Amino acid sequence: MLPVAVDAMGGDNAPHEIIAGAQKAIDDHGIPVLLVGKPEVLEGITEIPILPASQVIEMDAEPGSSVRQMKDSSLVRAAEAVRDGAASAMVSAGNTGATMASALLRMGRIKNIARPAIATLLPSPGGTPTVLLDSGANSECSSEWLLQFGQMGAVFAQHRLGVKKPRVALLSIGEEPGKGTPLIKESFESFSTADFNGGSFIGNIEGRDLLTDAADVAVADGFTGNIALKTIEGTMKTFFSTMLEKMTARPEASSALEILGPEFDELFKLFHPDTYGGAMLLGVKGVCIISHGSSGALAIENAIKVAAEMAEVDIVGSLKSSFNQSN
Amino acid sequence: MPAETHMEGVPIGRDEVLDIVRERLADILEIDPAGIAEGASFADDLGADSLALIELVEALEEELSERSTGFRIDDDDLEDLRTVRDAVDYVVSRFG
Repeated sequence: MLPVAVDAMGGDNAPHEIIAGAQKAIDDHGIPVLLVGKPEVLEGITEIPILPASQVIEMDAEPGSSVRQMKDSSLVRAAEAVRDGAASAMVSAGNTGATMASALLRMGRIKNIARPAIATLLPSPGGTPTVLLDSGANSECSSEWLLQFGQMGAVFAQHRLGVKKPRVALLSIGEEPGKGTPLIKESFESFSTADFNGGSFIGNIEGRDLLTDAADVAVADGFTGNIALKTIEGTMKTFFSTMLEKMTARPEASSALEILGPEFDELFKLFHPDTYGGAMLLGVKGVCIISHGSSGALAIENAIKVAAEMAEVDIVGSLKSSFNQSN
Repeated sequence: MPAETHMEGVPIGRDEVLDIVRERLADILEIDPAGIAEGASFADDLGADSLALIELVEALEEELSERSTGFRIDDDDLEDLRTVRDAVDYVVSRFG
């Protein structure tokens, strides 16, 4: 099994939490890892193979020009490892735009897919998670791109979540067909007659439906998708921290919290981004998992698991087949 | 004008460069190369964002390096490449 190339330098908690997550992936799940980063920073690590990279693309760097100018950066080298067959997948908690640019410019785009999109899993209590895409790669989109996002999302839902017949929906401001921006209305028409690899178009859903079982795949342009995602993340974070504050304000409440510990733990895990490891960039010729910048060891461990799994099920091959057949 | 002096390579005709730019752009943007006018603006007419332009630059460098070792488009010059014609003129001038 080829290793997962992990950008050891990317993210707020690099390299220590990245290395810790990588070690957990190796020890607990038997997934081989290739750590990519500065040799002097990774010096002393003997148990995990290292791919040296002398440069690091900072979190606030301009993505495209950074990838071009920093050819020996950990992000670029990780993407090249996948391209060259030295790694099965890549994971990074670094600069999201640069991660995408590295994957796009080094692995290349799958033929017939106009734009790669970031697919993020949203928790859906009692059901399988909802795939939201695009959750931030492309701010302005055409209806053709949205359709491709839906088609990619359907394939992803099938392989990542085991959903045989994904229900694909457009994220809009109302369920009625006529609701939404001109882009959404135009897309509604094309979605209505499109092929979703055995799945089906179920119409529009609203923001409130994202954490329910209303749809398996929710499609939006990257601007809208990113706002939806960050709103959900921020709401959950605020809700849980406020709840914890309230539940520890009185001794009686603290006692109740102790009793309900397992249930709250389960809920916390369900809604915490670390549980899902990261989002997958769909549309490039390799598995690329983009983790949150604040990822700790658990998130990285889970991201590596997802990366290995997606490589194992050959999601890229399935996307290639789907798009060569349907276009 | 390019930031550096032009470099010598195997001569390449303007029409050939235009074809190469069209083909690469068509691949990147998933559009018909025949529909790419020489005067087309990358952003306004073709909807190519900065990342697509970098894809084009890297594709041109890869293809044209075979004719002229180390052919490279300077990052400083990228912002001046606003149309297909700009890109073609740039490459032709670099090939002397």
